Amino acid sequence: MAVEVETLAAPAPEIPPDAVRVRPPRVTSGRVVSNVTLLVLGVLFIAPLVWLILDSVDSQASPTLQWPHFTFRNFTDAANSANLLALRNSVIISLIAALIATVPATLAGYVFSRRHIPFKGPLLLGILMLAGVPMSILIVPIYQLFAGRNFLALVPASIFLGVTSLPFELWIIKNFMDAVPIELEESARLEQASTLQILWRLVVPVALPGIGAAAIFGFINAWGNFLVPLVLISNSAQQPAPVAMYGFFGGNVIRWGEIASYSIMYSIPVLILYLALSRLFRGGFVLSGAIRG
Amino acid sequence: MSVSEFMPAAPVPVPGVAAMSQPPAGRRLDKKRFSWSSIPLLLPALGLLAALFVGPVIYSFYLGFTNDALLGPTSKHFNFTGTANLNRLFSDAVFHQSLYLTAFFVLGSAVVGATLVGLILAVAMQNALGVARVVVGGLVVVCFVLPPVVVALTWYAAATGHGTYTSLFGMPNADFLQSGPLLIVSAANAWNLTGLAMILFAAALRNISGEILESATMENANGVQRFFRITLPLLRPTLVTTILLMTLLALANFTVVYVMTAGGPGTSTMILPVYSYQQAFQYDNLGYGALIGDAMVILATILSFIYVRLSRERT
Repeated sequence: MAVEVETLAAPAPEIPPDAVRVRPPRVTSGRVVSNVTLLVLGVLFIAPLVWLILDSVDSQASPTLQWPHFTFRNFTDAANSANLLALRNSVIISLIAALIATVPATLAGYVFSRRHIPFKGPLLLGILMLAGVPMSILIVPIYQLFAGRNFLALVPASIFLGVTSLPFELWIIKNFMDAVPIELEESARLEQASTLQILWRLVVPVALPGIGAAAIFGFINAWGNFLVPLVLISNSAQQPAPVAMYGFFGGNVIRWGEIASYSIMYSIPVLILYLALSRLFRGGFVLSGAIRG
Repeated sequence: MSVSEFMPAAPVPVPGVAAMSQPPAGRRLDKKRFSWSSIPLLLPALGLLAALFVGPVIYSFYLGFTNDALLGPTSKHFNFTGTANLNRLFSDAVFHQSLYLTAFFVLGSAVVGATLVGLILAVAMQNALGVARVVVGGLVVVCFVLPPVVVALTWYAAATGHGTYTSLFGMPNADFLQSGPLLIVSAANAWNLTGLAMILFAAALRNISGEILESATMENANGVQRFFRITLPLLRPTLVTTILLMTLLALANFTVVYVMTAGGPGTSTMILPVYSYQQAFQYDNLGYGALIGDAMVILATILSFIYVRLSRERT
């Protein structure tokens, strides 16, 4: 009872050679509206950034947007030993967090991308949902767990920060590996290469942009976090830059110039990393691809 | 090619019986099997998630029903107190207010703020001059990249007396953080999130083929018609993803609001994460703070379910 289903491909209609499209630059109402909208929104968006930059070089800095009385004193004042220590702590915390998240996420991402495991679908769905759980709800139980074991210090807090990035990193890496062809690994498997050899020699080099993007995400996530170190690090000498910045608000007199210049010093590493990220991928690929699954 | 080639013993398949015929006994070789070497690869990730993520979430549901405190006699030896915390939660006026404030903050900053403004920016940039596109687009993304504490500081300065925004709106002596604190913290969060929404929309807009829009132009559809009849329907999947992503990010926000207002003045910006922190770590009620956190888990889970549902319906 073999039923042959014939699918007749309809002959493609002849497409006439594309005429050269002439598109004179016209001033349409749509363009005017677009440019004006962009200008208005742009000014609203950019004004606070301009203030931040001008204030950082103003000897009479205040919340007011004004032409600066030019000086570099704010930067030298902000770069005192306590503030630099906080920046160094930020680097250490973020590096540990990125490492703790990226290595396990790479190993597990490989399994989720290539291997058959029971309950794969529900597991992946569960991990995706973890990526959406607000961090602030974990802080009370983690505090309770850490306080009883004298874990209220830099390293355990960094490890916890890494774990909070793990679900999303796993998704980024898994999705990236899905896009990498499998043939090379199969031939390596026939040559009796071990799993770790395949992973290290074949998969990691090819998936490096994805792994790098995930690691940058983990680093930035830890770099910006304020609540976790505030609660989970008891020693003030181990506190990172965001907690130090919050301390600037505490005094009777707010030294705006110093805060502005320290904000810039603290923000620049993240700006550079995002630039690297956009070099790895153009546009919104990382986020949209990872989130769509 | 037909199915019958694989069923040599059944030349005349009877409807209903044909499905019963099985391939020869033995293991199918084309089916992937579980390999034991997967376990050590999965263990670090799943172990860490179980110990420091899923476990604590479950633990916080237990803590929510205890009299666990930060200091004092019940800090080490706390007890299960049944529904005491729950009763307190249901009659807690600040919690009720906090739910409304959170809804306003999330809807305002995520949906109206970040998503709508991000969409407007992405669409406007398509028709804008090259220079404006690069400058505005780049700086809006910078606003997204800035760490939350810097966002809070910048907006605190801009909204206070003689600040950038108070002067820009012609009211230099006003303090927006006193007159409209919830609006200001929502705007600050929207300012922070818009860049991400804009990136997502710009990527989706690039994928809409110009030919469809061109043929609509041929049919004399004007710009507004093209946007609402063609572009917007095609953007629907991205719109769903973006709204829910923004919602989850806004719900998770603690830093911007806490640094700017610490929930004040009074309790006028006491969104759930800030209230949970205040109860747990400033009023020493760890148990009650955990219960407020549990309310947030339930909220976030419902939103995640909706998100996963909607994103699956598309494909």
